Parts: sequence; structure tokens; C-alpha cells
Amino acid sequence: MTASLLQAVLDHARRAPEASCLLWQQTQWSYGDLGAAIASVAARLRQLQLQPGDRVALLLRNCPQYVALAYGVVAAGGAVVPLNAQERASVLARQIEHSGCRVLAGDPHHPEWPRLQVALAASDVRLLPVAITDDATSVEAFCDGVKTDAEYAAVDAHALGMLIYTSGTTGRPKAVMLSHDNLWANTQAIVRYLSLTASDRGVCVLPFHFSYGNSVLNTHLAAGASLLVEDNLAFPQVTLQRIADHGCTGFAGVPSTFTLLLGRTRLHDYDLKKLRYVTQAGGPMPKPITTRLREALPNAQLFVMYGQTEAAARITYLPPSMLEAKLGSVGIPVADTEVTIRDAGDAVVPVDQVGEICVRGPGVMLGYWQDAEATQQALRGGWLRTGDLGHMDGDGFIYIDGRAVEMIKVGAFRVSPQEVEEAIASLQGVQEVAVTSQPDEVLGQSIKAVIVQTAGASLDERAVKAHCRQYLATYKIPKAVEFAAALPRTASGKVQRFKLA
Amino acid sequence: MSTALHDQVRNFILENYLFTNDPSALALDDSLLGRGIVDSTGMLEIIYFIEEQLGVKVADQDMIPDNLDSVNRIAKYVQSKR
Repeated sequence: MTASLLQAVLDHARRAPEASCLLWQQTQWSYGDLGAAIASVAARLRQLQLQPGDRVALLLRNCPQYVALAYGVVAAGGAVVPLNAQERASVLARQIEHSGCRVLAGDPHHPEWPRLQVALAASDVRLLPVAITDDATSVEAFCDGVKTDAEYAAVDAHALGMLIYTSGTTGRPKAVMLSHDNLWANTQAIVRYLSLTASDRGVCVLPFHFSYGNSVLNTHLAAGASLLVEDNLAFPQVTLQRIADHGCTGFAGVPSTFTLLLGRTRLHDYDLKKLRYVTQAGGPMPKPITTRLREALPNAQLFVMYGQTEAAARITYLPPSMLEAKLGSVGIPVADTEVTIRDAGDAVVPVDQVGEICVRGPGVMLGYWQDAEATQQALRGGWLRTGDLGHMDGDGFIYIDGRAVEMIKVGAFRVSPQEVEEAIASLQGVQEVAVTSQPDEVLGQSIKAVIVQTAGASLDERAVKAHCRQYLATYKIPKAVEFAAALPRTASGKVQRFKLA
Repeated sequence: MSTALHDQVRNFILENYLFTNDPSALALDDSLLGRGIVDSTGMLEIIYFIEEQLGVKVADQDMIPDNLDSVNRIAKYVQSKR
């Protein structure tokens, strides 16, 4: 069998079945437990006649069952489509249809589940409800007597392993295709620079359906480490106490995670001395937050990193020893990966000159699902065009300078302005709408919508937000809504979003 | 039992996260996180609301789901601190 994430987990389950794997609320799953749960999922999917290459959608918040399902789908020969648990039923149904999923496995208590059931009633998508209640989290309850011989077909390294929906629009969803090898190679590179071992215990507060959360999960499992599974930071003090109680050695966050963590919390009230690494990705972090984080956690090494879903997860990392010398840099490429800075004509630009960040390496995606045009634009001559602007210094360290394409980042989540515009435009009384970003203290950016109403319409801010809430994930709802007589346009009629801010 | 305090808390959440004034959109015991009504930053805003509008300082150790994850819980917590 080829080396793969699944193989690594099954090896740990065989060699160290008692070793701690996933900690969630009051429950702990060992590697042996996870192995049994994976086998049970694979058996259930075979009962549903899952064929090799079939897609299976997952709709769950972070929990051990998510992990069993994600790895179980692969064990059954399928590909995982982790859905964003914050999205609404209309978007989720469209993504399930677009990716041609055979099965939807999800939490029947998810707020969108009933509406999603209705939306999928006429389709042939099979539903696999997985209850996530506190009393049903034991492996025995999860497996529910389903036993299997645990013989799996070899994973084809180049086959589709995961489809991750990213910032498309409802009309044109955009899903990144990652092969088993993309995920495995990127995972190995991260395990290496973080020096993860079986004695580590990480914390994941980032959603598993998000490529950063997915990589935190995969790297810890590949290393045979354990992972404290959390699914939000609404109560930072509770999370910090759990990190202290479980003696966690690593923590992964995006800038807003650290802003929330440091905002109202005194980190020195908690025993965090076992934390040896903290990783930060998902956009630039304000320097005062970086400084406070380092003061609060003097024993932990801070790894600043950069990546995107299209490159499995990680593209560069800044070795902690270089943090001072190269402050503001996102570092150097991860193992076996090359980065070049190019102009619009694909030529590599000189040192220190800004261009588009381009990536080549084993983590770079297969392309976008059923979208040859978008794939061709993103993958040119073997290089991934990230859409991020940056430059490289004389020592080969990379710096991010902005976005080449219009994209809003709320927290670390990408939001396409077109998607929000599409949702608002469907509201009666909206003649036209343009969406842009505005600075936000916690999230870096938040969304602002400027609306021109049809004659006689009398929309207000609340009506617009209420409408958005029906169709958009909460973080995509504009924080600010303004009304204008006209939108700023170029001579050719194109809306100038930058003039709206 | 619904009091003026319950109404004040519910109205804040209706107005800012559900964008409606229809009280039936939010039951007093609904989990704000479980129903996806607020996220991590929303919870922080609710804490500011409690401090600035309801006049109760929320201590670090009080920031737990039992005190904050529904209208009833928030009202009960605020009453206990007044």
C-alpha cells in the first residue's frame, strides 16, 4: 500500500492502539478507537454501495466523528467533501449537487439539516445521520456494532482525496481538488518543520473543513500525536483551561484567534508552559498582537506561515529563529516546494520587486472541480498562480503585499464579493449593489455593501442583513450597509469597488 | 418567566444577529452557539453589551456557556450580579 494519511493512522492504530488520539469534551479516543471507527464508517459506506472515487459530503462541526468519517470515506475508496458548517442549506445543497456527492454524512442537529433534507429530497443523495450528543460519543456507540475485517483497497496517490469549496459564488461554486498525495506530501513537510512527534498534543480550534484546520488534524495524526478538538473560541477562558489541563504542546491560530485569545484574557493565569509551538497563518497579524503573544508565551516558538487551499495548505513558513531578523516575512518554501514571484506575463521579477506569488510542488492541487477555465487560469506552466501579491528578498524570504484579485478575508475565511452581491441582488428593491471590505479591529476585514435602490423602494439596513442571513454564512453578512444614489464606475462601466470603502 | 431584562437581552440578539423584531425567532432557552446565531466574535460583543448596556462587569471566570449561551442564562447571570 502506498504511503498515505490513512495508512499512517492505521499503522499507529496497529502499533500503539492505546495511545491517546482525539480529546473532545469529556471523551477520549485512542488510535485503536479511531481505527475501529474508521472501519465502521467504511463498512457502512460499502453498505450504501459507495464506489471508488465517489464523493461523500461531511457536515459536522469539529468532533471525533468528523475524523472517523473523513478517514473512513478514504478507507472505502471515496473522496471527502468537507462542507463549511457555517453555510446555509441553499449553498450546501448546491455544493453537494455540484460535486455529485453520493452520500451526505452529517449531524442531524445541525441548524441547516432539516432544510437541507428538504432540498435534497428529490435527489439520489443518501443521508448518513451521525448524532453528536455528549452521551453518544463513545466509540462503541459510534460503531454501533458494525464490524469489519478492516481490509482496504490501496489508496491511489494521484486520485482525488478531498474537494474543498472555496470562495466561489452560488452560481459558480469553486472546489479545490486535492489528491491523496497532495495532502500527504504537505502533511509530511509540516510535520518535519514543526518537529511533531507522538509525544506532542496539539489543539485545534480551527474548523476541520478549512484547509488550515484540516492540516492541523492531519499533521498530528500522521505524527501519532494527540489532538485536543475544540470547535470555537467563543469562551477563550474555557479553551485555555482545557489546554492547561491537558498539557498541550502546540496551538494553531489565525490572527483573529490570537486577537480573541489575548483580548480579554490573561494568559499568565493559565499553566501553558508545555506549549512549545504556536503556529499562525491565515493572513498578516498586526505586529502588537505578535509582540503580546510572544511576551505571553515566552517558551513557545512562534511559526508564522503562509498558504492556501490550492496548495493543500502550507506554502511557506518562517523558522522561529528568523522571526526577529525577518519580521514581516512569511518565510521560505516548505520542503520540496518552490516559490517564484512573477509579472502578468509569467516572467520572474527581480529580487524585492512585487509580483504574483507562484508555487510549484507536491502540494499544488489537481485543479478546480469541473472548471477547466478556472483551472487553466490558476495553473499555468506547472505553476500555481496564488492571486497573492508579494516579493522575495535577497535571502529568498517571501513577503505578502496584497491580493491581485478582489477577495475579502473575514478572519481567515475568504469571501468573494460577488457571492455577497449575488445574495443581496436577489432582494426586492435592490437595483444594484457593490460589496467591498472595510478594516475591522478583530477580523482584519469586514464586509461593506453599498446599495442603489429601485425607484420607490424603502429598504433599510436590517432588511438587507435579514435577507443575507437566509442565504449566507454568518461571517459573510455585511457588517455595514449603506445606500447611495449611484455606484462609482470606470468610463467602461465597471464598478470601482475600491472607491466604496 | 420573561422579564424586562429578558426582553432587553432578547431584543439585542434579535436586532444584531437575527435582524428582526419578531420575538418568536428566538426562544429564551435557544443555544446561541448551537443554533449558529452568534460566533466567537459575536459572543465577545454580547459580553460588551452586558457590561455597557446592562452595567454588569463580566469577570474572566464567568465567561462560560452556563452564563452566556442563551437569553435565560444571560438574564440569570446578570440578575445574580446586580
